[in-house]
Amino acid sequence: MTLPPFLRAAAGPLKLMVQDRLAVIGMCVLGFIIAMALFAPLLSTHDPRQINEIEDGSVLLRGPDGWALSDSLGPLALNDADTAAGEALIVGREGTVWARDGDGWTRRSVPTDADLNAVAIGPQGGALIVGAGGTILLRDGDGWTAIPAPAPAELRGVAWIDAATALAVGAGEEIWRIDTAAGTVEEVTSPVGRGFSLNSVARDVDGTLLAVGVRGLAIRYDPDTGTSLERLGSSRDLNHIHIAPGGAALVTGERGTLLRRDGTDWTTDPAPDTRALRAGWIDDDGRAVAVGRNGIVMEWDGAAWVLVDTESERHLRALLIDGDRWMALGSDRFVVRLAPPSAEHWFGTDHLGRDLYSQNVHGSQIALLVGFLGATLVVLIGTNVGLIAGYYRGRTETVLMRTVDVMYGIPFEPFALILVLLFQPSLLIVILAVSLLTWRTVARLIRSQVLSLRERPFVKAARVAGASDLRIMYLHIFPNVMPLVFLELAIIVGVSIIAEATLSFLGLGPPQSISWGGILHDARLSGAWRTAWWWNLPPGILIMTTVLSVFFISRSLEVVANPRLRARG
Amino acid sequence: MTRRTYLIKRVLQAIFSLWIIATLLFFLFRMGLPDPTAALITEGLNPEQRAAVRAQFGLEEPLWRQYTLFLTNAVQGEFGTSFSYRAPVADIVWDRLANTMILMLVAIVIAYGIGVPLGAWLSWRRGSRTDTAGIFVGLMFRSAPMFWTGMIAILIFGVGLSILPTSGMRTLPYDATGFWPKVLTLDFLWHAVLPVMIVALYYLGSPLLIMRNTMLEVYGEDFIEMARAKGLPERDILYRHAARNALLPVVTQLAVTIGLAAGGQVVVEVVFSWPGLGREILNAVRTSDFPLAQASFLVMAAFVISLNLLVDILYTTLDPRVSFR
Amino acid sequence: MQKQALRLGVAMAATLSVAGPALAQERVPAVEIYTTTESYDPIRYESAFMIADAWRELGLDVTITPLEFRTLLDRFYSEQDFDAVILGWSGRVDRLDPQFFLGTLDSRQGSPGANNPGGYDNPAYDALFDAQSREFDIEARRDIVHEMQDLYMPDVPVVVLFHRDEVVAYNNTTFENMNPMAGEGLYSEWVPMEARPLGDRATLRIGGPQEPDNLNPLASTSVWGWKWMRLYYDRLVRLSPEVEPVPWMATEVEAVDDVTIDVTLREGLTWHDGEALTAEDVAFTFDYYMASDYSYFNSYLDPIDTVEVTGDLSVRFTLREPSAPFATITLSQIPILPRHIWEGIENPETLTPDQIPTVGSGPFVHDRYDRGEFMALTTNRDHFHQDEIAVDGVEFLIYADAEGVFTALQTGQIDMTAWRMEPGQIPLAEGNGDLNVVSVPDFGYFHFTFNTRRAPFDDVAVRRALTMAMDRERMVNVLLDGRGEVGTTVVAPVNAFWHNPFVERFEFDLEAARAELEAAGYSWDSDGRLQR
Repeated sequence: MTLPPFLRAAAGPLKLMVQDRLAVIGMCVLGFIIAMALFAPLLSTHDPRQINEIEDGSVLLRGPDGWALSDSLGPLALNDADTAAGEALIVGREGTVWARDGDGWTRRSVPTDADLNAVAIGPQGGALIVGAGGTILLRDGDGWTAIPAPAPAELRGVAWIDAATALAVGAGEEIWRIDTAAGTVEEVTSPVGRGFSLNSVARDVDGTLLAVGVRGLAIRYDPDTGTSLERLGSSRDLNHIHIAPGGAALVTGERGTLLRRDGTDWTTDPAPDTRALRAGWIDDDGRAVAVGRNGIVMEWDGAAWVLVDTESERHLRALLIDGDRWMALGSDRFVVRLAPPSAEHWFGTDHLGRDLYSQNVHGSQIALLVGFLGATLVVLIGTNVGLIAGYYRGRTETVLMRTVDVMYGIPFEPFALILVLLFQPSLLIVILAVSLLTWRTVARLIRSQVLSLRERPFVKAARVAGASDLRIMYLHIFPNVMPLVFLELAIIVGVSIIAEATLSFLGLGPPQSISWGGILHDARLSGAWRTAWWWNLPPGILIMTTVLSVFFISRSLEVVANPRLRARG
Repeated sequence: MTRRTYLIKRVLQAIFSLWIIATLLFFLFRMGLPDPTAALITEGLNPEQRAAVRAQFGLEEPLWRQYTLFLTNAVQGEFGTSFSYRAPVADIVWDRLANTMILMLVAIVIAYGIGVPLGAWLSWRRGSRTDTAGIFVGLMFRSAPMFWTGMIAILIFGVGLSILPTSGMRTLPYDATGFWPKVLTLDFLWHAVLPVMIVALYYLGSPLLIMRNTMLEVYGEDFIEMARAKGLPERDILYRHAARNALLPVVTQLAVTIGLAAGGQVVVEVVFSWPGLGREILNAVRTSDFPLAQASFLVMAAFVISLNLLVDILYTTLDPRVSFR
Repeated sequence: MQKQALRLGVAMAATLSVAGPALAQERVPAVEIYTTTESYDPIRYESAFMIADAWRELGLDVTITPLEFRTLLDRFYSEQDFDAVILGWSGRVDRLDPQFFLGTLDSRQGSPGANNPGGYDNPAYDALFDAQSREFDIEARRDIVHEMQDLYMPDVPVVVLFHRDEVVAYNNTTFENMNPMAGEGLYSEWVPMEARPLGDRATLRIGGPQEPDNLNPLASTSVWGWKWMRLYYDRLVRLSPEVEPVPWMATEVEAVDDVTIDVTLREGLTWHDGEALTAEDVAFTFDYYMASDYSYFNSYLDPIDTVEVTGDLSVRFTLREPSAPFATITLSQIPILPRHIWEGIENPETLTPDQIPTVGSGPFVHDRYDRGEFMALTTNRDHFHQDEIAVDGVEFLIYADAEGVFTALQTGQIDMTAWRMEPGQIPLAEGNGDLNVVSVPDFGYFHFTFNTRRAPFDDVAVRRALTMAMDRERMVNVLLDGRGEVGTTVVAPVNAFWHNPFVERFEFDLEAARAELEAAGYSWDSDGRLQR
C-alpha cells in the first residue's frame, strides 16, 4: 500500500506516540475532554445559565440556638397560619391547607386549587380561608365550603369581626364583609378608591378592624360607621398587621418597615436589616418577632430589634406562635445560592444558584474551540509565512521576516488584552487576540527548516524536473516540516487554552459564553470564592488537565521532530 | 559582513520595530478607544466643559499633529501627563515597572536556579520514575493558569492557615519614604513570598525541560564519549562538560523570559493586588488614558526588543556557527 | 411639534389597524440593549438578560451588547446612538436635592453630551422644572416636584430599575459611634469627626478599592478625590448626617432677597499654615473657580453672578436668577481655598502631584499621599470643631479591589470599608462577631433608558408594556439578594420628602403588557412575533 507522502509523514509520529506512556494518557484525557465538549448538552444536568429556584413548604422552628429549619410541609409555599384554642391551620399555594394533628400536620382537602393567602380562626371556632380568584372558604364541620364572591379578586387578608361576620381585603383595594351564616358577601366602599392593594387585616381591641396595604395605606373599618383612612407614619408598602389582645400591635412592611403600637401611638422602629418583612407577631408582654425575605428573622429584645441568625435563604411569609412553639413559615421560590455539591447539583451552585457542574461541562466547548481554532489559525499563518520566506528568499523574505521581528517586540499578554478591549469582547476577537502574535514563533522555526531543506538534493531534483514552486513547496518541502508543524500545533493549543482562560478570568472573554476562566472570574468577582471551594477547584483542574494532556502529546511529538532526543530517551 | 556592521544593522532594525509598534499603538488607541472624557458626564459635565477638558489633554488638535508631537516627545523620553492621574507619565511607568521587575526577576532567578540543575539531573536519570515525575510536575505548573494557582495559594496560605499576606506589597500604612527604604524590608519580602512562588513555579518548567532535552542531545556528541572513554567520573562529565555545552539554549530562553517580564503577568498582579505595570496598562486602556497606555506599552516593547537584541548578540559571541547574515 | 405629529400618526395607525385587520402589519424592529460588561457590574449585566428573556416572550427581537464602561457612556451620552441602555446614577449627597435627577428628563438636556440622552420631551414637564427651581418656599416646591413625578411616570421615558443598598462594614472592636449617612455610607465627612476609638490606636483606618485621580482641587474629577479633600478643605456650610444644611465656616447665611445672599464667617478661622482666613479668601475662591477651566463645579457655580467682600468676615453673593438649591448645594460643595497660596498659580490644572498645595482649613490636615498605597491626615487641633473629634488622624489605605479591602477588614488592618462589599462577602462579614454590617439605602439608581426618538420606543404604549414586562422584584431578590428596592420615580423613596409615593407603578405582569400592546394596535404573527 502506498500512502501519499504527507500521510506517511503523519503516520510516523502516531506510531511513536503510542509507545510513549505519557502521550497515551494525554490522548485519553484529551479525548475525554473533547467528548465532554461535543456532548455537553447531553452531559449537563441543568441549563448552565438557569438560575435555579425552588419552592418549598418551609418551616423554621425556634429552638434554644436560634431558628432552625424543620421538616418541610411539601413542595408548595406556605402563605399564612393562625392558631386559637389549641388548633392551628396553615394555608399555602394551590389549595394547600394543613391542620395540626398532635405533634404533626395533616393535609386537609378543600374544594379549590387556587392559591390561599390568609386564614383566620374565629372566636367560636369558625374558620375562614381567602385566596386568589375571589376564593372564600368557610369551615363546615370537617370540610370546607366555598362562599361565592362578587368578583374574582385576589384576596390577601381576612379577620373576624364577630362570631358570624368577617372582613376580607384584597389586592384591588377590595374590602368585603362576609356574613358566614347567610353565605353572602357585601362590598364595603374604601375611602381611597384608587385600586391600591390591601395586604392584611386584623381585629383591634375596640372591635374595629385595621387593614394595611401598599404606600403606607391604613384603613380602619368600624362595623357601625364604615371605613376611614388612618395614618401610621410610613409611606412604605405594608405587608402584615398583627394586634395582640391587649392592644399592642405590629405592622411589618417593605424595606425593613416596623411600625409598633404601644398604647395608642404608632412608632417607626429602626430595623437591623433593610430587606422586606412579610409577617410580624407581638404580645402584650413586650415580646415581638418579625420575619421576611431571604430568611430574615428579627426579635425585639425590649429596646431594639435584633437580627437573629438563621442559616436559611428561604422567604418567610407567616408566623405561627402557639405558646412556646414559635414557627416561621414560607417559602415561595428562592434561589439555591452557593449550595455545596449534592445529588441535585454535583459541583454545587454559584452565587446566582446556577449549576456549576453543567457550567464546567459547557466550559470545555469554548476552551477547545479557542484552543484548536486559534492554534490552527496560528499554524496556518506561521507555516505559510515560514515556507514562503524560506523558499523564495530575497525581498519577500526580508519583508516577511521584518514583520515577524516587529511582532517579536510586542509582549503577548498585554497586547491580547488591549486588542479585546479595543474591539469589545467576542469569540472572534478572542481567537484573533490569542493567535495574532503567536504565529511569529512558527514562522521563524519553519523558515529555518525550509532554508536547509531547499538545498537538499530532492528539492533540487524536483526543480530540475520542472516542478512548479507551489508544488515543490507544498508537496516536497512541506511533508518534511510536518513533524515540526504538529509539534507547534500541540504546544499552541495549550498556550491558546491558557490565553483564553486568562482573558476570561479578567472578564474579557466572549460575553454570555461559559468558559472555565469565566467561572473563576465570577467566583472571584462575587467575593464568595474563599468559602465556596466547589466553585474554584473544578475549572482550574480542568484547565490544567486539558493543557497538561496537550503538553504530553506535544512532548512525544518533539521526539519525532527532533530524532536526537530519541537516541537515549 | 563584519560583526560590527551586523550589530549596527540589528540595532537599527530594533529601532525600526519600536517605531512601527509606537505608530500602530498610537492609531489603534485613538481609533479604537472611547473619548477619555466620556466618564466625566456622570460627574455632571456638559459638552462645552468636556471640550475644554479635551483641549487641556491636547485632543482637539488634528490627529497628525498629535502623532508627530507624540513621536518627537517620545524620542526625548517625554511621555506627557497622564489624563487620569494628572502626573507625569514617566514617573508612574518607572514606579510600576520597578514593582513588576522586582517580582518577576526574583521569580525568574529562582525558577532558573532550580530548573537548570534539576533539568540536568533529570537528564542523567532519563527514563527513570524520577525523570517522569520531574517532567510531570514541571509541566503541571506550566499547564495550570497562574490566576488559579494564585487563588488556591491564597486560600491555603492566606485564608486557611493565615500565615502569609495575600495582597499588596507591604503592610499599610508605613513610615518609610523613597523607593529603596520601602523595598528593603522584611515586610516587603513577606508580601512577595506568595506571588514570587506562583510565578517561579510557573516558569520552572521551561528551564527544566530545555535543560533536560539539550543535555540529552549533548550526550550524543563525540566529546562526551571521549570524556567517558577517558574514564572521567560521571558527575564531572555531567556538570563540567555536558552542562556547560547545554547552557546556551537555556540562556537564550532566560533572556527572552526577562524581556517579556516587563509585560509582567497581569493575572498575578491582579490576583495578588501587586501594583505593577501589567495592571496599570489594563487600567490605562480601560480609562482611555492614552499617554499612560502608550508609554507603558512602549516600555514593555522596548524591553522585549532589547533583550531579543541581546540574545542575538549573545549568539554571535557564544556560538561561532551563527553567520552574520 | 414634530413629536406631536408623530404621536398623531401613531394614534391613527392604531385606529386603522383596529378598524381593518386585513391591513398588512409590519414586524416591530429588533432592539439592542446596551449594558455594562459582567466584570464592570455583574448586576446590570445580569438584569439585561432578565429583561430580554421577558421581552422575547412578548415577541420582540432583542439582542444584548455588553460594552466597556467608557464606550457605553460614549455611546449613550455623546453619540446618543442606542435603542436602550442600562446605566446608573450614583447618589451623591448633593443629589438629594431633586434638581439634578429631575433635570435628567428635561428636554433642554436632550442634546448630545447632556443628561437626557433618551430625549424625553414634555413641555409641561420642562415648565414645572423651571418653576420648582425658582421656588423658595420648600412646601410649594415639594408640591411641584411631586407633580413632575406624577406627570412623567405614565410616559416611562426611563425605568428606574432598582436602588441598591450600600452594604458596608466596620470593626466594632476598634471604633464606635459609626453612623452611616444616606448616599455616603460610612465614608462620609462626619464619620471621621464622630468616631470614638475603643483601642490604643486612635487613627481611623479606611480601606477602599480605588484611589483619587489626584488631590488637586482644580483638577480632580472623581468622588474619591473629593471625599478625601473635603476632610481637609472646609466649606461654608456642611450637610448634616440628616442631610440638613448646618452653618459651618459661615455662622449665618441670609437671603436678603431672591438673588442676594449674605454670608457671615466665623471669627478666628485660620489656615493650616497659620495664616488668618478672611472673607477675601472666600471671594477669591469663588472667583478663582469661576475663572478657571475646571468645570467640575460649574453646575453649582452657574447661578452666581458676582461675589463681593462686604467686610472682614462677610461676603455677598449676587445670583443671576433665584436658585433654590444654592444655599444647600453650592455653599456646601465648594471648598474654600487659601488665597495667599493659589493667587500666584496660573494654570492650576497642570500642577504635578508634588506641586499641588495641600493647605486647607478643615478639621484634618493633609499629611502624606503615597500613590497606590495610602493617604494620611492628622487632626487639626486648631479647628473650631476639634473638641468633638476623638480620632487623632485618618488614614485611607488603597487596595486593588474589593477582595483586598475585605481581607484587610477581616484581619483588622482597616477599621471600615469605604465602598460597598461584594454580595458574597456580606454573609462572611455578618458571621464575624468583630464586624458590624451596615445597610444604607441608596437614592442613586440603576436605570433603563429608552431612546424615545427611535422606533419602537417612540411609542408610549410600547414603553409602558415593556416596563410591565420587567420583573424588577425578581432582580432585587435574585441579583441583590433582597438588598435593595424596586425603583419607582427618579426621586428615590428613601428621599422621603421629595419622593411622590402615589405615582403609577408598573408591576410585573405579562398579561397586562400584552393587553397594553393590543390596545395600541399591536398584534402577533403566527410565530408569535410582535407586529403592528
